Amino acid sequence: MRKFFALLKVSVQSMLLSSTNSQSRSRKKAATGVGAIVMIACLGLYLSGLYSYMLMSVLAPLHMEVLLFIFMGMGALVGGLLFTTFAVKGVVFGGKDNDLLLSMPVPATTLMASRVTAIYLENLLFSLFVLLPAGVVCLLTTQSGVGYSLLFWVRLLIAAVALPLLDTALSVLLGALVAFLSTKAAGGALGQNLVMGVYLVAVFYFSFNLNSMIQSLAVNAVEVKASLTWAAPVLWMGEGIMGDWGQLLAFTVCCILPFVLVVFGLGRIYRQAVTSFQARAARSDYRLSAQSASGQKKALLIKEARRFLGTPMYFWNAGIGLVFLLAAGAAALVMQDDLREMAHIIGPSVALPMAGMVIGLCLCTCTITAPAISLEGKYLWILREAPLDESALLWVKVGFQLLASLPCTVIAGVCIAAALELPLQQGAVLLAATMIFAVGQALFGMLMGLTFPKLDAVNETVVIKQSLATMLAMCVPMVVLGAAGALYWLGGMVAEWAALALPVALFALLSAVCAAVLVKRGPAMLRAL
Amino acid sequence: MLRIEHYSKTYPSGKTAVNDLTLHVHPGEIYGFIGHNGAGKTTTLRAVAGVMDFTEGSITIDGHDIKKDPVGAKRVTAFLPDNPDLYEFMKGIDYLNFIADLYDIPAKQRTADIGQFSDAFALTGNLGSPIGSYSHGMRQKLALISAFIRRPKLLILDEPFVGLDPAASHLMKGYLAELCQDGSAVFFSTHVLEVAEKLCHKIAIIKDGRLVTCGPTEALVGDSSLEDVFLELEGEK
Repeated sequence: MRKFFALLKVSVQSMLLSSTNSQSRSRKKAATGVGAIVMIACLGLYLSGLYSYMLMSVLAPLHMEVLLFIFMGMGALVGGLLFTTFAVKGVVFGGKDNDLLLSMPVPATTLMASRVTAIYLENLLFSLFVLLPAGVVCLLTTQSGVGYSLLFWVRLLIAAVALPLLDTALSVLLGALVAFLSTKAAGGALGQNLVMGVYLVAVFYFSFNLNSMIQSLAVNAVEVKASLTWAAPVLWMGEGIMGDWGQLLAFTVCCILPFVLVVFGLGRIYRQAVTSFQARAARSDYRLSAQSASGQKKALLIKEARRFLGTPMYFWNAGIGLVFLLAAGAAALVMQDDLREMAHIIGPSVALPMAGMVIGLCLCTCTITAPAISLEGKYLWILREAPLDESALLWVKVGFQLLASLPCTVIAGVCIAAALELPLQQGAVLLAATMIFAVGQALFGMLMGLTFPKLDAVNETVVIKQSLATMLAMCVPMVVLGAAGALYWLGGMVAEWAALALPVALFALLSAVCAAVLVKRGPAMLRAL
Repeated sequence: MLRIEHYSKTYPSGKTAVNDLTLHVHPGEIYGFIGHNGAGKTTTLRAVAGVMDFTEGSITIDGHDIKKDPVGAKRVTAFLPDNPDLYEFMKGIDYLNFIADLYDIPAKQRTADIGQFSDAFALTGNLGSPIGSYSHGMRQKLALISAFIRRPKLLILDEPFVGLDPAASHLMKGYLAELCQDGSAVFFSTHVLEVAEKLCHKIAIIKDGRLVTCGPTEALVGDSSLEDVFLELEGEK
C-alpha cells in the first residue's frame, strides 16, 4: 500500500501543482492560485445551490424531494464524465513518466490504480460540490424534516463518495476507448477528434433531454420519476439518500463493483494498453519533393494551428467555446420562433444583454492562449534559439486565438441577432461588444499563461485542463461579463445609449490595459521563464 | 567569430555556475569544451545560443552582441542541446520547413539542403512521419539536419555524439570539418575525450565554473593524451 500511496501522491501533486512552474513558486502566485480555486469552488457551490433551489421549489410541494437527488446525481455523473473522460488519455495512459514508473518494481495494477484514484479524487470534488448544496437546500426547504436527521447526512455523504466511483469507472472505459480508436484511426488526431465530437453530441443530447424532463416536473413529477427506470442506480441513490438503506447499499455496490473491475481488469493489461496506445512506427516511404517557403509569422501561426488541431485534448478543452459559439448560432436559428416569443415577453432591453451574455460565456470557455506558453514546455529552446523577437511569439499566439474565435463570434452574433430580430443598432452593438470582449479575453489568457506557466508538466492534461492560467483565463472574464451586465443595467437608468456604450467601454478599456501590459512586460516575462 | 568576455552566470539561489569566463573562437576552428558534470559547460553553451540570460560579461557572435542584438546573433547561429526535444505533433519535413521559415531560407536552397543532409543521414524516407514516432537517434539526426540547413557561421553543440550511431557520428564529423573549411566555427561540449582530441583545433577545460586552461589541442596535449591532461587538471590523478 505504501507504493500505491507514493504513486497517488505523485499523480495528485502533478494535478495540484499544475498552477505554476515548480522551479519558481512565489507566495503571491500561490495566494492567487488559492484565490482562484476558492472562487471556482464558490461559483460551483452557488450554481449547484441555485439549481437545487429552483428544482426544490417545484418538488417540495409535491413531496417528490427524491427527484432533486436523482437529477443532481445525474448532473454530477454527466459533468464528471465530461470533465474526466478527456483527462483519462493523458493522466492514466499517456503520462510522460510512464517509462520511468513502469520500469520500477511496482505492479502495473498498482500504478493503474493510483492514476485512476487521482481521477476519482477529481470526480469526488465534483460530486461533493453538486450533492452537498442539494442537501443544504433539502434541509432548508422540505416540510418533512428529513434534512434535520444526522443519518440523512451520513447517507448523503456515502452517496457523494460512492457516485464518483461509477463516474470514474465509466470515464476510464470511455477514455481507453477513445485512446484505442485514435491509434486505430488512419487520421490519428482527426479520428480522435471525431470520436470526441460524437461523444460530446451524445452528452449534449442527454443534457437537453434532462432539461426537458426538469421543465415538465411541475406537471407530472410522478410520471417523470417512473420513466427513469433506465437510470436505476441513480434512482437507488435518490431513494437511499431519502432513507432507504437497502437501495443505498444496492447503489453503493453498483458503484464499487465497476470501479474494482476497471482497476483490476485494465490493470492486468495496463502495460500492453500503454504500449499499444503509444505505438506509432515511423514510416519509411517518404519522397522529398520541392518545398515551399513562407515567412516567420506564417510559420509560427501554422505551428500553433497544427498543435491546436493535432492535439485533441487541446482542441476539445481550450477550443470547446468555438463549438459552443457555432452551436449557439445554429440553435438560435433553429429555435428562432421560441426565441422571438421569449424576447417579446422579456422585452428588448433584456434580450440584448442576454444574447451578449450567452456569446460572452461561450467565449470564456475558449482558452487557447492560456496554456499556449506552458505547452511549449520542453520545446521552448527551439523558439528561444531562433532569430525571433519575443513579442512576435506572443502576438502570434494571441493572433491564432483571434483567428479562431472572431469568425465564430461574428457567426454566433449575426445568427442570434437575426433570430431575436434585434434592431440594427443593437445588433451592431452586440457584435462590437462581443468582438472586443473576444480580443480582451485572448490577451488576458496570454498574460495568465505568462504569469502562471507550467513548463515541467508530466502531461498535457495538467496544463490544458487544470492549470491556474486556464482557470483564471476562464473565470476572470466571467466576472467582467457580470460587471458589464451591471453597467448595462445602471446605464439603462440614465439613457439607452449609456446602457449600450458602458459595457463596450468597459471591454475596450480592459482589452487596452491587457494589450499595454503584454507589450510592455510580455517579452521580459517570456525571457524570464 | 565568437567572443566570450568575462562571462559569469549566477542563479537566483546565489549559486555561481560560471565565473569570469573569457574565450575566443575564430572562423574555421572546431573548439572543444570539456569538463566534469556540472562544471558549467551547458550553462555557457545556452548563454552563447541566447537561450539563457546571464549576469555579467558579454558574448558577441560575428559582431552581434547576444544581449543587445539577439536576433542578429541568432540569425548566424545554430544550437543543438544535449537532448533535443522536437515538436512531436509535427512531421519531420514540417519541422525542417518550420526551421527554414524562421531563418528565411529560400525554397530552392532548402529543398536541395534537406535532400542532401537527410539522404546522407538516411532519414529521407522517415520525413513524412510524425516526430512522435521517431527513435532517439532519428530525432538527433533530424535536429542535426535542421542545424546544417541553416548554414550557420557558428554551430553550438551540446554533447552531439550522444544517441548517434557510429555511421552518423562519422558523417557528422565530416560535415563539421566541411563547415569549418567554409569559414564557419564549431563550439561544442563533449565527454568523449578521444573524439575531442582528434577533431578539435582548440580545447578549453572548465572546472567548477572557472576556465582551467585553453589553447591549441597539440600544445595542450603534448606527448600525453587529452584524458591524462584532463584528469590531471581535474585533480583526479
